[in-house]
Amino acid sequence: MSMMLLAQACATGITNGLIYALVGLGMAVIFKGSRLINAMHGELAVVGAATAVYCVEIAMWPTWLAVTMGMLIAMVLSTLVDIGLVRRLFNRNAREESFLLLTVGLGFTFSAAVLYVFGREEHLLPAFGDEIYEVAGAIIREQTIWIVGIAAFILIGLKLFYKYTDFGLAMMAASIDPDGAATTGINVRLMRTATFALGGLMAAVAGLLVTPMIGVSYQMGPILTLKGFAAAVLGGLTNPLGALVGGITIGLLESLSIVYISSGLKDAVALSVLIVIMILVPDGILGRSGRKGG
Amino acid sequence: MPISLTRRTVLGAMLAPAIIRPTLGHAAEPIRLGAILSATGPGAGVGLPQRNGVLLAVKAINEKGGIAGRPIELLVEDDGSNPDAAVTKANNLIFSQKVKAIIGPTLTASTLSVGGVADPEKIAVMPFTGLGLEMEKQRRSVFHMLPTQDLNARALLEFVTKNMKTRKVAVLHDSAYGNIVMTKLKEVNATYNVDFVAAEKWEVGATDVTTQAAKIKATAPDVVLVIGNSATPFRNLRQIRMNAPLMSALGTASYEYVRAMGDAADNIIFAEFLVAEDPLPYQKDFVETFHKEYDTFPKTMEASAWDAVHAVAAGIAKAGPDATPAAISDAIRGPYAGAMAKFDFSAPDLTGLSLSSYVYSKLEKGKFTRVPFTAGQ
Amino acid sequence: MKYSGYILLAIVWLALPFVLERHAIDLLVFCGFYAVAGAGVGFLLGQGGIVNLGQAAFYGLGAYSSAYCTVQLGLPAPVGILTGVVVSLCLAFLIGRPILRLSGYFLALATLALGIICSNLFYEAEFITGGTLGIPGVPKLSVLGFALDTPTKFYFLIWPVAVLCVLSMRSLMSSRIGLAMQAMRDAPEAAMVLAIDISRLKLWMFLISSVLGSVAGSLFAHYVGFVNVDSFGVERSIFFLLVPVIGGAASPAGVLVGALFVGLVPEALSVLGDIHRVLFGLALVATVVFFPDGLIGLLKRLADTCIPARRQALKMEQSR
Repeated sequence: MSMMLLAQACATGITNGLIYALVGLGMAVIFKGSRLINAMHGELAVVGAATAVYCVEIAMWPTWLAVTMGMLIAMVLSTLVDIGLVRRLFNRNAREESFLLLTVGLGFTFSAAVLYVFGREEHLLPAFGDEIYEVAGAIIREQTIWIVGIAAFILIGLKLFYKYTDFGLAMMAASIDPDGAATTGINVRLMRTATFALGGLMAAVAGLLVTPMIGVSYQMGPILTLKGFAAAVLGGLTNPLGALVGGITIGLLESLSIVYISSGLKDAVALSVLIVIMILVPDGILGRSGRKGG
Repeated sequence: MPISLTRRTVLGAMLAPAIIRPTLGHAAEPIRLGAILSATGPGAGVGLPQRNGVLLAVKAINEKGGIAGRPIELLVEDDGSNPDAAVTKANNLIFSQKVKAIIGPTLTASTLSVGGVADPEKIAVMPFTGLGLEMEKQRRSVFHMLPTQDLNARALLEFVTKNMKTRKVAVLHDSAYGNIVMTKLKEVNATYNVDFVAAEKWEVGATDVTTQAAKIKATAPDVVLVIGNSATPFRNLRQIRMNAPLMSALGTASYEYVRAMGDAADNIIFAEFLVAEDPLPYQKDFVETFHKEYDTFPKTMEASAWDAVHAVAAGIAKAGPDATPAAISDAIRGPYAGAMAKFDFSAPDLTGLSLSSYVYSKLEKGKFTRVPFTAGQ
Repeated sequence: MKYSGYILLAIVWLALPFVLERHAIDLLVFCGFYAVAGAGVGFLLGQGGIVNLGQAAFYGLGAYSSAYCTVQLGLPAPVGILTGVVVSLCLAFLIGRPILRLSGYFLALATLALGIICSNLFYEAEFITGGTLGIPGVPKLSVLGFALDTPTKFYFLIWPVAVLCVLSMRSLMSSRIGLAMQAMRDAPEAAMVLAIDISRLKLWMFLISSVLGSVAGSLFAHYVGFVNVDSFGVERSIFFLLVPVIGGAASPAGVLVGALFVGLVPEALSVLGDIHRVLFGLALVATVVFFPDGLIGLLKRLADTCIPARRQALKMEQSR
């Protein structure tokens, strides 16, 4: 087993892991703000990216405008889902499963809608830069570095937001203890809508960052959701940094099992390890804030 | 680069009726044909081009007066890439709608399940798959519009050994269709004796296969066979500077995949059947007709679909428009010279293609050119 | 519903195959499979609040066991079905013990992971499952020498089986075990105080669900005659989950209604063209949002407002 192959496997594992982490980050944010798992998060990422692709390739807009549009559409969609659907479920005190099933249904709908509107092809977006770096024989693309940077930026931003701004604190309070929060004058419903809006934005960001590397197609949503969810769960669900760690863990697991076990069993291995970790480390690798659903 | 086909997909999906009725003015009773294609779900990638080919063929035939003066009425069903739904559609088309023949399905699993319903009734089925299992040879009404994987495997190795003259081969394939081809590659290797230095697998729908590509690069092959319906492996191989020529099969030889490959769409050979930029004489008419209608060029899938409809039409013309489905099936079971290739539906594999039917193309900087190489000689 | 209602329903059920087209009966047979597998998922959901996204794995195990035993080994059909049940029970026991310690989203994710792992293994274990190409030529079932080779004949087998499964679930629900399960779901701490072994209960429920999935799969294999890994993916698991969700998890009749919806609606929508999948997604979102008790709940409410006798009864209840 050459060093080069191992280095490449690690580099690829981390890169893919970052992709999962970005999606998981958004899911962790939504969970943190609403105690809900957004099973259509991957589809939101696809919608954001597909919108940007459409703007670039058909409407011929400049990239920055297309990207903004993508983020906007995903945010609006996510917000509408909250206002129109999630709120109704909350109003009648629906059980946890209903929310899960709602988002599963929406995911199904969005995926079919993306196929219907955008077609079956796979599309790429232009990357931030096309440099290639070689580290210990492993190829790393410039886009990966950008992703690391932007992810770090987002993480720091989120941490500051939740810890030091009134709005962020209110969002967390509204989800941890809705009744208590309401008594202090926090508009719980608005906070949840804000969470969904933020989650939608993050999904779009994830989609836009990774599309230059892996392309966007109508089938990608469920895979991204699953991997993102796994990343978030591994990281403890409420901890965005945990999603990063969780995502990278999964990415490395996959890559190393391809190298050391077999490329055919990659999913079986990665998911089995995921189940084992969930059972052995119930709070996730980094999670502290107590997982709901326990 | 504008995606004109995407625009057309949107419009086409909204306007294309589920039933193609013959235009007014035909007093004669229409001949009813059915089609089961994957217009949604993972199979849509090949199902939609097939549908385009089928619709065009029916339109062309009806414009020329139909079959023996009677127009074709086509009922198109979508199995959603689900073999169970395909069974239901087949039951509908055969027993309720009383179609004379079925075009499609798109996927192997659907072909097997639909064949189980149609063959006992001796209704001709023209699937866009190659014969997969031995028992399918007994289904004498289920013909095949694409080569067997055995033939695909041979076509690849013919080129590798006789044109590229090399023996150090790596294979990167998906866990579904690619797996079948890999098995066949190993089987037919008795004749070619190449050295498979690496064989890596990716699961259908994978977003990245760089690690598998790295394993392949580590074995330094002279050519990499990439088999599966995704542009990702091509991109990943080139990204890690795996610069050996790549070779692939007809499933990925389409303009959509070329676009999705981006810069990686270079130095790739395809064992396919139609290079529209440089068509063979018997393909020129079809290419022109397609181009006039859709403003783009067709590839193998569209040609295969065109041939399927025309072969059925020829069978009906021969057996007579009022013939039973069984008689039509018998009439189809013979040689047919199509735009894609020369078929012989009476062959044991119910397809009748041979190595010499293949047309090899080379993708250079996003453009297809025909390679002057004929396999099987 | 009163007995006259049930008798009417039975008569309609008996008459349907003689008035419907063949493919419609075919669809109803598939509804039957959904009902059996969905009963298992509904049981876990309604009684235990557990979201099981891995039922397709057991469905697949049942189907492959039946196919392998009858096609490759030449054994009679009942042996295949039994093998499927045994294999599913073993898997459910081995996997269930550890993962049922989880709950909520984590358990749901674990069942989803189970489904995907099995799907992966179905592809890989080519020597048993035939890989991508699958196993064709599964023989038709015969009951008392009578071969079930048309949709109509199978219809008369699967629906009694489905109703039987659903009724057994119902009687289980009203038995001591069922009450214990409800206690576990509604007031876990109180249940613990009453020495109800929650983890054992959950495991039992999971085992029962897996058996139902396996039996449905075996029957499916004998009906279609061809098993292929594409039939046992995550989407299938989601559809099984939709059965109790749409129909109403709390009531066994809900499973039957849900199965009819999940089996018939996609087909009905497909006449609308390529947009049908989008519409199905919307239909299911609407059901989750607007009909929390599922369609059964909706039907009950409609019945309460429309049928005078029920309206009276409701009024009397409310004034009490």
